[in-house]
Order: sequence, then structure tokens, then C-alpha cells
Amino acid sequence: MNEKAENACAGSTVPVLGETFEPGKPEGKADGRWRQKLGTRAEEMKYLETAERYWYSKDWPGSEKRKKPA
Amino acid sequence: MAEEERKLSIDPATNEMIAKARVDGASIAFDRAEKMKPCPIGQEGSCCRMCSMGPCRVPAARNRDETPEEKARRTGVCGATAETIVARNFTRMIAAGSAAHSDHARKVVEAFLLTAEGKAPGFIIKDEQKLLALALDFGVEIGNRTNEAIAIDIGKLAMQEFGQQNGELRLTRRAPLKRRELWRKLEVAPRGIDREVVESMHRTHMGVDQDYRSLLAQSMRTALADGWGGSMIATELQDIMFGTPAPVFSQINLGVLKADEVNVIIHGHEPALAEMLAVAAQDPELIDYAKSKGAKGINLAGMCCTANEILMRHGLPIAGNFLQQELAIVTGALEALVVDVQCIMQGIQDVAECYHTKIITTDPRAHITGAMHIDFDEHHAPETAGKILRAAIDNFPNRGKNVRIPDVKTDLIAGFSHETINYLQGGLFRASYRPLNENIINGRIRGVAGVVGCNNARVTHDDVHVRLVRELIKNDVLVLQTGCSAMACAKAGLMLPEAAAEAGPGLRSVCEALGIPPVLHMGSCVDNARILIAATAMVKDGGLGDDLSDLPVAGAAPEWMSEKALSIGQYFVGSGVYTVFGVNWPTTGSREVTDYLFKEYEAVYGGMWGFESDPIRMAKLMIDHIDKKRKLLGLDKARERVLFDMEMRRSMEAV
Repeated sequence: MNEKAENACAGSTVPVLGETFEPGKPEGKADGRWRQKLGTRAEEMKYLETAERYWYSKDWPGSEKRKKPA
Repeated sequence: MAEEERKLSIDPATNEMIAKARVDGASIAFDRAEKMKPCPIGQEGSCCRMCSMGPCRVPAARNRDETPEEKARRTGVCGATAETIVARNFTRMIAAGSAAHSDHARKVVEAFLLTAEGKAPGFIIKDEQKLLALALDFGVEIGNRTNEAIAIDIGKLAMQEFGQQNGELRLTRRAPLKRRELWRKLEVAPRGIDREVVESMHRTHMGVDQDYRSLLAQSMRTALADGWGGSMIATELQDIMFGTPAPVFSQINLGVLKADEVNVIIHGHEPALAEMLAVAAQDPELIDYAKSKGAKGINLAGMCCTANEILMRHGLPIAGNFLQQELAIVTGALEALVVDVQCIMQGIQDVAECYHTKIITTDPRAHITGAMHIDFDEHHAPETAGKILRAAIDNFPNRGKNVRIPDVKTDLIAGFSHETINYLQGGLFRASYRPLNENIINGRIRGVAGVVGCNNARVTHDDVHVRLVRELIKNDVLVLQTGCSAMACAKAGLMLPEAAAEAGPGLRSVCEALGIPPVLHMGSCVDNARILIAATAMVKDGGLGDDLSDLPVAGAAPEWMSEKALSIGQYFVGSGVYTVFGVNWPTTGSREVTDYLFKEYEAVYGGMWGFESDPIRMAKLMIDHIDKKRKLLGLDKARERVLFDMEMRRSMEAV
């Protein structure tokens, strides 16, 4: 694991986790294409209800829970 | 390099090609801007040419307050006041900008319907999930129906948004509830896209609406029909057809052109043709054809917002932004500049005549005198793309010896759609805007800025964009970008994770944890709709108020030049965002109108306009606004941490 020492607020040094990414440039078209991980329509609908819950979940109160919808 | 040339651009590739153009005798925008000074009366919006009793010019007093008598004299033949004239001109500019984005959207909907009906060879429904999201937005039944059947229903409903006469545009339902209520209360909720544009043109006609507040309310409704209508429809349907952007690595600047290949640049705004060209450029038959002409292959690059579209989805390199379109020809290494619509200078044809480049127009709405025209028709898209590339390949042997490709290009990461930003903050199982909101609440990130817009030959190319964005990230402001502004910052290396080193310590720590740059490329100018959605997600996630106007965010278009930019600015202001423009401001002919937009608007819409040409002062205005919002949210100081004992807990439960 890539660790490095940093000064803590109390004055001592503490080991902290360093960079976790791999060096170099990405290669290949598949890099970054996360949406292809969702295989079926059911998975896609579930993702909409959870990840995009701000618009597509009825259970999501967020900052806008109201008795009377606008 | 001469001192004078350094002032024209901060980009070395641009300066090198400006010098070459002068040696070659090519007329370019940088030099034309020196010879053609802007009309001072038109610039301040004080020229009325709405009827043939004019044009009437009612310029404001320079550098002093005008007397009441002077003000009373500032009317046109019909008696229209300076306020009415300025507000009419402002409204017409916004109507034109909204029309441009929305006519782009109309073409996308037409292509989308043809794709769904199986009548557009080469096009497919690529992103099923986005299709399902739009089906939920539009109330289209999903069930076990095919993607094509769902898409036909969505396409028909999307097309209705243009001609709808009453009600509200469907995608405005995505806005925060409080914002929608405000739009209804102010009667600026857009009814139909075309209706708002047409009504703006009518109300600014001679002898119709002659109250500047009333005119500006209609300009707001027209702009909102762009941002939450036309632009949003274009972005969403393009994502369905061509894929929702995800992180992608690429390069930018004139150095992406290749000396030994057939160079083709696609320039403009609509991605359909560019998508087909991207596929055709990999066709072995066409590559062999290029080799038969002495080239090693076909090199396709983008320019302006078409470039952003194919960059975001395919990682195709970008040759440059708006002010580099003529300079790409000046390299002498460009076989074809293929254009569709918007931001295409007619000057490219004149420059092309100094070299061997073919200008190929492709859209029936946008011809250029002297240019070759190959009509792009979605019914025959692959054939058209092949025909265009063959024309470019045939031109390769005509390349002269006067070739110089600047050895300047920069790496970048693009592809930060709202969906990807959401995903990056939690993965498939915990995607969320919570980490962003938490980091704003805890102060690591001070706020978020949208920096967008064009280039403008009246200011040093790219300079205002880059200095503004550098100042913002230094002050822990996360920057979201689109358009030519994004390209300027990409050229400066700000769209790489390593650029986090230039950010303030808080923003830097967040960027390093997520592995993202401090400046995120969100796409083309219609993709400013993505910024609206990202900001709405921040509101809906909670903790930062319950309207867009509560967020510690600000917007800017530091080098704007097009009417589209003004429409974008107006819909951001109407959505509650403080938005600062640079270069010049088109309502200074009336202090009342300008004060209304710059001061009174905040009480009406929660957002307002600002103007500042200096990037550092512009950053200060934005940061001050962000700090003001943080204070209103109670985020300006660390709160005392209270440890509750059992007695305190019991007292809470008793309430």
C-alpha cells in the first residue's frame, strides 16, 4: 500500500494513505465506460430509482418533501 | 514573437498561425477585428431599426450622468424610449439564441424519430438507460415494450414541445419545486418552445410591448424555453442516440493535425454528421483510398461544439476553439473543413482560397457562397459521410509545400456528464451528490462555478477564461465547463487530474480522492442543460437549501460573443444563478434596464446578471456571491460541536 507521512495537528507525524491510482495514461476504449456495467432493463430501472432518486424514486424525500406537490 | 501578437492570444499555436497568416496574406478575424471597431451605439443597444422611420439612434451620455432633459430627448421617431429600445434589442438577441439551440434540438428529434422507425441507417438507440429515464420524464409506458417503440412515443412528445401552445414544457418538471412555483407566480414558465420565440419577435415589433419590465419577462420565458426545453431535449436525445458521456482521454490544439494523413475537421454544433464521419474514418476501404492518394490514413478532428460532442463520446481530438477555425486552414495541412450550423465564420471560405482546403457545408440551413455543399440527410448518413471523406481524400494531392502544423497539443480528460459525476461519487450502488454537498458544507469546496461560452476577438484569446478559472480553483471553487471556454482551459492543462495541484487545499484534497480534475468538461453549449441538472441534483440531495438560488454557485461567460450565450446567461439567471459576463454588455444604453438586470433581478428571480471584463475581479465577484450564499446557509463559520448527554436527549424526545 502506498503510504506517506503527514504532520498531524498535534505536531506528530502520522502515516496516511497516498495516491491509489495507477500511473500512466488510460488506454483502450473501455476505460471510463461505466454505464455498460448495467446489463438488463431491470438493473437499469433499479439504478434510476436509486442513483437518480432525485427524480425517479417516490421514496426519496430529499430537500423537497412536501405534503402538496408543486 | 512580437509583443502585439502575444496580446492576441495566450495560446502559442494560435500566435504561430496568426504570424503565418500574415506572411501568407490570409485575412483572419484577429486582424479584421483591428480594422473593424465595434459600433458604439449598437454595442450599448441604443440603435432601433425595427421600422423604416429609423434606424433611430439614442446613445447614452458618455462617462457622465445625463440630465432629465437629455433623457427625455432620447426617444425614437415613434416615441420609444431608450429603455424600450434597449430591452427590445436584448429580447431579440435572446430569442435568436434560444431559436438556434432549439432548432438544433428539432433536428435531433427528427433524427431520433427516424432512428426509432428504422429509417436512419447507421443510427441506433445506444443508451437504453437514458431512454428509460426520458420515458419516465415524459410519462411513456415502459413495460416490456421495445426500445424503438418507447423511443417513437418519446420522439413524438418531444416534438410536441416545440408547437405546444399552453401548459408547461415537460422537462421543467425536473427543476426544484420551489423554482417551478416561482416561474408560475411570475408567469414565465415556458409554454412551448416555438411560441416563446415567436411571441418575443412579435412583442419587439414596432408598436407592441413598450414596457421594459414586460419585455424582459418575455425574454426570460424564451430563455427558459431554451435551457429547460430546446437545449435539454437536444442533450438528452443525443445521449440516447450516441451514448451518455463517460470519462475519456484525448488531446487538444492544432498540433493534433498530422502531416502525413488526410486531415478533416468537423466544425459546428450538431453531432449527427460527426458521429457518421467518426465511423466512416475507420472504414478500411476509405483508409485504403487515402493511401492510394499518398496519405498514411484519415485524421478526423473536431472544432467548436461539434468537437465537444465527439470528444465527450469518442475521445476524438479537438483542433481548437472558435477563434482557431481560420487558423486550422492556415496550417496548409487541412484537406477539408466540414461545417454544419452556428459559429461558422464566413471568413473561412476566403482563407481557404489562399490554401487548398475545401470548405464543405452540409446543412440545408447553412450555405456559404463559394463553398462545396454536400447535403447531409439522415436517410443516407453513411453514404454522405463516405462522400465527404472521399472529397477530402481527393484533395490530399493538392496540398502545397507551405505547410506548418504547430507542435502544440495538450492532454485532457472529458466526459463529465451529470450521470458520470453522480456515478463517480459513489459507484453503481451508492451514486449520489452527497459527497459534493458534504464537501461544500464542510468547507473543503467553497462552491461551484459554471464557466462557459465563446471566444471573442475583442479580448485576448483564451486569456480571460484561463485566468478566471485558475483564480476560482485556487479559491477552492469547483469549475464546470462547456463550449469554447472548456477548450481554452483544456489547452491550458486544467482538465487533467494533475491540475489539482493548482487548486486550493480543500478542492485539491477532494479531486485527489476522486481522481478528477478540478475543472470538469461537461460538453457543448446545448450541454449547459447538464449543469442545470447537476445543480438541481445538489438542491434535491439536501443540505444546501431548497432552490437553485440557495446554492453557493455562480456562472460566467468571460469571452462571450454569440446570441446563444446571452440566452444561456438569461436562463441561468432565471434559474436563480448569479451570472457574470465579460467583454461588453448590450444594455448599457439604458441605466434603468441595466440596473433592473444587475440589481433588481435578484429580488425577483434569486439570480441576477453581472458584468466585469477583468478575470480576477470577475472571480472576486463570483467568490463574494458564493460566500454570501454560504453565509445565508450558515456555512460561513464552523459550528460548535455539542455532545448530547442523556438529559438533553430526553428533552428532545419530549418535544
